[in-house]
Amino acid sequence: MIKRSFFSLSQPRLAYDLLEPDLKEPESIPVPAILSVLLPEPIDNTKQALIKKGDAVKKGEKLKLYDDSTAYTTSPVAGTIKLFDSYSDDFGNIATFITIKADPTQVSEANTINLPPMDDIKLADQFLRKLPGAPPFEILANDEIKITTIVITGTDTDLLSTTNQFVSLKYMDEVKEGAKILKKLTQVPKFCITIPENLDTKVSFDTIEVLKISNTYPSTLPAMIMKDHLNTVMSAGQTPEDSGICFIRAEALVSLARTYKTKKAVFDKVLTIISKNGTRHRIRATIGTPLSKIFARFNININEQDRIIIGGPMRGVATYTPHHPVLADMDTVIIQDRDIIPQLSDYPCVNCGKCIRICPANIPVNMLVRYLEVDQYENAADKFDLESCIDCGLCAYVCTARIPLHQYIRLGKHELLTLRADA
Amino acid sequence: MTSTKLTVSHAPFWHDGDSLFQMNLNIILALLPATIFGIIQFGAPALGVVALSISTAMFWEFAMNLISKKALTIGDLDSAVIGMIFGIMLPATSPWWFVVVGTFVAVVIGKMIFGGIGANPFNPALIGMAVLMLSWKVMFDFDAAYVNYDFGFTALAPLAALKFKGAAAIAGLFPWENLIMGKQVGAIGSTFGLGIILGGIYLILRGYIRWEICASFIIGILLTAFCFHQANPATYGGPLLHLFSGYTLLGAFFLSTENSSSPVNKIPMFLYGFFAGVMIILMRNIGAYSDGTVLAILLLNLVNPLLDAIRPKVLGKGANNA
Repeated sequence: MIKRSFFSLSQPRLAYDLLEPDLKEPESIPVPAILSVLLPEPIDNTKQALIKKGDAVKKGEKLKLYDDSTAYTTSPVAGTIKLFDSYSDDFGNIATFITIKADPTQVSEANTINLPPMDDIKLADQFLRKLPGAPPFEILANDEIKITTIVITGTDTDLLSTTNQFVSLKYMDEVKEGAKILKKLTQVPKFCITIPENLDTKVSFDTIEVLKISNTYPSTLPAMIMKDHLNTVMSAGQTPEDSGICFIRAEALVSLARTYKTKKAVFDKVLTIISKNGTRHRIRATIGTPLSKIFARFNININEQDRIIIGGPMRGVATYTPHHPVLADMDTVIIQDRDIIPQLSDYPCVNCGKCIRICPANIPVNMLVRYLEVDQYENAADKFDLESCIDCGLCAYVCTARIPLHQYIRLGKHELLTLRADA
Repeated sequence: MTSTKLTVSHAPFWHDGDSLFQMNLNIILALLPATIFGIIQFGAPALGVVALSISTAMFWEFAMNLISKKALTIGDLDSAVIGMIFGIMLPATSPWWFVVVGTFVAVVIGKMIFGGIGANPFNPALIGMAVLMLSWKVMFDFDAAYVNYDFGFTALAPLAALKFKGAAAIAGLFPWENLIMGKQVGAIGSTFGLGIILGGIYLILRGYIRWEICASFIIGILLTAFCFHQANPATYGGPLLHLFSGYTLLGAFFLSTENSSSPVNKIPMFLYGFFAGVMIILMRNIGAYSDGTVLAILLLNLVNPLLDAIRPKVLGKGANNA
């Protein structure tokens, strides 16, 4: 954990971690006996599910719950469905997890994967949405969203993480190949790739424009990249897609290139595990592998009250189970020892102004939190710019009173959406 | 499956390690040079006043916590800071009841009835000060307070002398090097200018007070005093006399920078500090009080919410809706 420096007249600078100079192949984690995949659709007991316990599945087979479902997932292995049940994430969104018992004797692959022709993004969305790296095909295939720029992220959005940098440099050729395929699929005219500006490596991405990103947090967040490099200011409460910009992980392009090259579905996700003492392990695991298997491989002990963070320290998500599966959009897993978990407080704001100084979006956080504390979400959005927040988490990081500021803001945004949906 | 109970919460998962306790402890540290100097200069009575002031201020908060059945909050040292600032603004010869009444007003009326830390619209120590000044004006006659002391320098309170005799009569009595080294009569912690400045710079470097307020405050003082002095040098004192006497330096670094009663945005901070400085000189030169620091800063505390509505443009919004 980066502590406050002794002299802190200027605001603290949190720097992104840079990639190590020699890029070794990631260590492969063997396919475990039992895997789980998440399907972003709740179980509806009134309907007859298409899958049931005991069903045999092939590798790469598309799994969906009901005939009219648009959400789907793909099975990373051949085997049988052991169970499926409800899973709820940190905001109470309900999804379904499907546990599959792998059958190593079976090597049958789903009749692949009718590779979509290279000019039909809608078909690609039908088959390739769950590729490692989670390509945003749902957005790209949506006729109502006009995308004019695709930004490939070769930078990591959070501190400590280096997975995106690793993938974009180690597999540079495949990134380029994937970008070509994506260009054919989407016909989007402009492609950019983000690279840390102080990375000491030669990069050449042919026709893809390289954006050199500063290494100070939060300059790799989409809103900051748009502001600093694309001259587009993201309007409050909107997404980058609303401005015609779509962000895609470099790894998604690598997966895309491999899929078209081998004509087989790929399920290998590269991720970085950061243990309690800060040691990094770069691994390659099949999507659906329980994290506990990976921890066991590196002898990482998880004790009571430790925290398992999926993503980075500023923007990640804490999971409640060490058996959480590897997901397509999971880049980094951090284990935080319970002794270094910072305590938060229920103190009121003392108006010290540190959040104001550090907020990259100029939000009056000191006033905002006063409204959020008493559930005044509409006022918070109208008067104090709740929706301009870019979710960097710096306010809560520096708060002297240790108010969970960013937690309030996230809750506020969530409640605001609920209020508006009900209205 | 094992059932390890993990800690689950929302991001961010890091904190820079700062806390209110740390902040207040540092403010107390920064006040120490001026306070210790005052105790050496004015002897045991000064120590008694400061100790009583800190302890009673903490006691009042403790009592209010008990009465209002709230969690105990004295551990954050906020009322210790209030008590310390309040104590060093008193003459060393203040009687005990004076100190106790003052800290009661400061902590209970100035802070706790508004809801405790962070909710006070005015600087609590100044509320206590203002009530005492209006009720027992004679107690703040520093010349009378130290009548039994034998100092090795001009034993006249500079600002009172300036007020009643005019700048021409006291010319040469108060060279600024004497003032800054504490060779002047005043409150316990307000005489040793160098110590206050060092403490203030320490807090600025540590990021616990906002330099914009201090800097503009001093500019406000110097500029206004300079203008008055130029207009009529015989009546109005020079800028350095004003800067290094009375509560001016305490005001610049410790009083006007109190967190919850001062602005946090850039332009408002400059305006707030500057006008506080201007008001002080106006009160000294035109008003009835020889030192207007207390009332001037309280007045600016009142304007603070209006000033702080001047905000920078927010990311992703067309117009500044402040």
